[in-house]
Amino acid sequence: MSNRDSDNLISTNDETFDYLFKIVLIGDCGTGKTCVVQRFRSGTFIERHGNTIGVDFSMKTVLIDDKKVKLQIWDTAGQERFRTITQSYYRSANGVVVGISTFLSLQHWVEEVRRYTSSHVLLILVGNKCDLESLREVEKGEAEALCQYLPEVLQVVETSAKENTNIDSVFFYLASELKRRHENRQINANGDEVVRLGASRKLSSCSSCSYKIF
Amino acid sequence: MNEEELLKRSAAERDRIFSCYDRGRENGAEIDPWEDPTFEVYHTTDRYGFIHDKRLPQKPDPNEIKTHRVEMERLKKWEKMTKQWDSSSTKEKLRRRVYKGIPNRFRGQVWALLLGIKNLKREQAGKYEEMLQLARQWSTEIRQIDADVARQYRDHINYRERYSIKQRSMFYVLAAYSMYNMEVGYCQGMSVLAGLLLLYMDEEDAFWGLCVLLADKKYTMHGFYVDGFPKLNRFIEHHDKIMNKFLPKLKRKLDKCGCDSILYALKWFFVVFQERTPVSLGLRIWDIFLLDGDRILPAMAYTVMKMHKRFLMPMESLDEFCNYLQIKLEKDFCFDDDTVISTMERSMEELKRAKLDYPGPPLPHELPRFPFGTFKEPTFASKVGRRSEEFSEAQHVMRESITQRRDLVLADDGRESTTPVEQTSCGLGGELRYSEKIVHGNTDTCLLYSKQESIIKDEDKDNTDTDEIDIMVIYNTRFLDDGASPNGSRRSLADTSVTSTADLSVFSSATRSQALDNSLDTQSNISNASSGSGGLPTPRATPHQPSPDIVRIYVPYTSPMSGSYKDDLPRTLPRSLETNRIRIRVDPDQTPIVENLKPFSLENPEVELDLK
Repeated sequence: MSNRDSDNLISTNDETFDYLFKIVLIGDCGTGKTCVVQRFRSGTFIERHGNTIGVDFSMKTVLIDDKKVKLQIWDTAGQERFRTITQSYYRSANGVVVGISTFLSLQHWVEEVRRYTSSHVLLILVGNKCDLESLREVEKGEAEALCQYLPEVLQVVETSAKENTNIDSVFFYLASELKRRHENRQINANGDEVVRLGASRKLSSCSSCSYKIF
Repeated sequence: MNEEELLKRSAAERDRIFSCYDRGRENGAEIDPWEDPTFEVYHTTDRYGFIHDKRLPQKPDPNEIKTHRVEMERLKKWEKMTKQWDSSSTKEKLRRRVYKGIPNRFRGQVWALLLGIKNLKREQAGKYEEMLQLARQWSTEIRQIDADVARQYRDHINYRERYSIKQRSMFYVLAAYSMYNMEVGYCQGMSVLAGLLLLYMDEEDAFWGLCVLLADKKYTMHGFYVDGFPKLNRFIEHHDKIMNKFLPKLKRKLDKCGCDSILYALKWFFVVFQERTPVSLGLRIWDIFLLDGDRILPAMAYTVMKMHKRFLMPMESLDEFCNYLQIKLEKDFCFDDDTVISTMERSMEELKRAKLDYPGPPLPHELPRFPFGTFKEPTFASKVGRRSEEFSEAQHVMRESITQRRDLVLADDGRESTTPVEQTSCGLGGELRYSEKIVHGNTDTCLLYSKQESIIKDEDKDNTDTDEIDIMVIYNTRFLDDGASPNGSRRSLADTSVTSTADLSVFSSATRSQALDNSLDTQSNISNASSGSGGLPTPRATPHQPSPDIVRIYVPYTSPMSGSYKDDLPRTLPRSLETNRIRIRVDPDQTPIVENLKPFSLENPEVELDLK
């Protein structure tokens, strides 16, 4: 029996892992989304990255509490007109990393995440390029204050892909939090008779979903 | 300065220069680093001007020498040809020669001829300046253009320095164009076109080149970049058709790994394979694109997949596919440029025989609606760069089609899987609110696929139990029967599908279950939490989008007119008639109707589903 991602039907036979989470990077263009992914994935920083047209995909497996956590990372184009494409990729995201550039757009992106993703999604706001202190547009305190009203936001982090500040910790924190919440949910779900969608049960035991076809 | 002083100064200068040469390089001559042959950039810049991370090999590789030599031999012919561009002998030879590759030093000139820039520029004298002036005052795309100019082709010697002359030209061209064609404005991807043209021509020529690429019926790139990307949709569907027909195994593999064609082909089409193939090959493709237009895009996409099939087939994950198609191929295409181009020519022939060589002329909404250069004052929202909350009509269409294509792949995959109803939890939270069950009957004729998604209580509505359930019925033997049918061809969902929405209140009691309820509670938690906080800065403007009490049915069908339709119908009648039964009637020339218990007949093919 193969493990399957319930949304993308990704075969995962090739590599063993304990958890698989889908993380999407969104945010205004030029906030350094691609550089963040690049840094996390390969440890390098390339100043002259091209623009992302559409969606780029990459993967990295990290070890958290001796469990292999595989992260599918979707790096999206920032320009508004690409959202039709990028949104179809974040509807099943587990975690979202939002690259923030201005205060106004921060609210916009959080709203967008609320609308188009699962309600269990976890968010981390990332103010990248913190090495460019002189060009700062959002104060960390302001962003944090706003996020008190946004329960789904886990953390506001200042990063620098250039100087490798906090990049790994963003993904590790997100991954461990997803793992923790997932485990908690499993314990809860096993306790009662609730049928969970997508859980590994035979279809016949799921009263809502058994259809017969002739 | 009087005459005497001037003469003195000249003499001194002459002496100084002479003494530099007399002393020679080794005896303390002062030279700037860039004058020194050890200056690194000389060793890392290739013949196209791209700077590499490492020094280029001292001895160029024999293939490259050969290519270069052949190119030199062709210069004379091209010299002659460009001088008599309109002659019959040029017309005769042009195509063959462009396919062999335009010599690099003729590229600028020949591209301009192929695009007809000279005439356009003459007819519209002064227009470019005018647009640039308008852009200074009105363009709403400046921020985006600036962000992209700052990173476009930064590894090219002309764009390496920030605000260099060529960076400035790219910025001006794109800014002016955002006013010239306000429907498109600026879309990511256009910086590649402008950047590439500017490597071979000057600013105003590049502007007009860009205009031709977007507007001329040979290229109509307008349809790619305009809101909703209608042309992209059409080309992706066409590409899928080709894949299903010629590379069905590879296509299935890609589908199985969740590799939607849009992931790799979007950039291929948007920027004509630039930045996804090595520079030299990219230029060859571009040469041919300018000659033959957008019909080469599907042929080239097919060629890439065909040539790399044996490398792609063993791959097992989306990661590997994306890495290969998005990164690896740009570094090393594995085949030399001539081989790729001749394979593409053969692909074109192959596609022609299958009548799949041309995705067809542009649809009305892929074309500009207003004459170019028409000024319309931007809205306040776009002036201040506010993102709109709602989707436009065109964006809806695009989104639907992506979702639909993926759903179809899922349904298809379910058919092949031996245990389609079993799902394993592998830690994906998507499962928590989103589940897909695929069931198929004992005959392979009908398949019902359902997904339940974003089921929420809409508190603003008259608090009835409004649950949403999406059902997708795929009804067409031939469609599902990929490979097994005699010709192995599949029909595209796009040409043949009917999408309909039917009220299905009968469902609401039958489908409500614990599972659905389970997915509701988290939603209400969130809204409770937020309503308690008071003065929430970002109130939820609308509930999650798909919420009305409907069943959405996608029915790909074969028109009764198209021949062997009847032969594909199921010959067996449905047997069991139990309670709680819903029928979905599929009438070829009507939208599907959902109703209770009606007699089944072959003229009105039906799908029956059982709800326990």
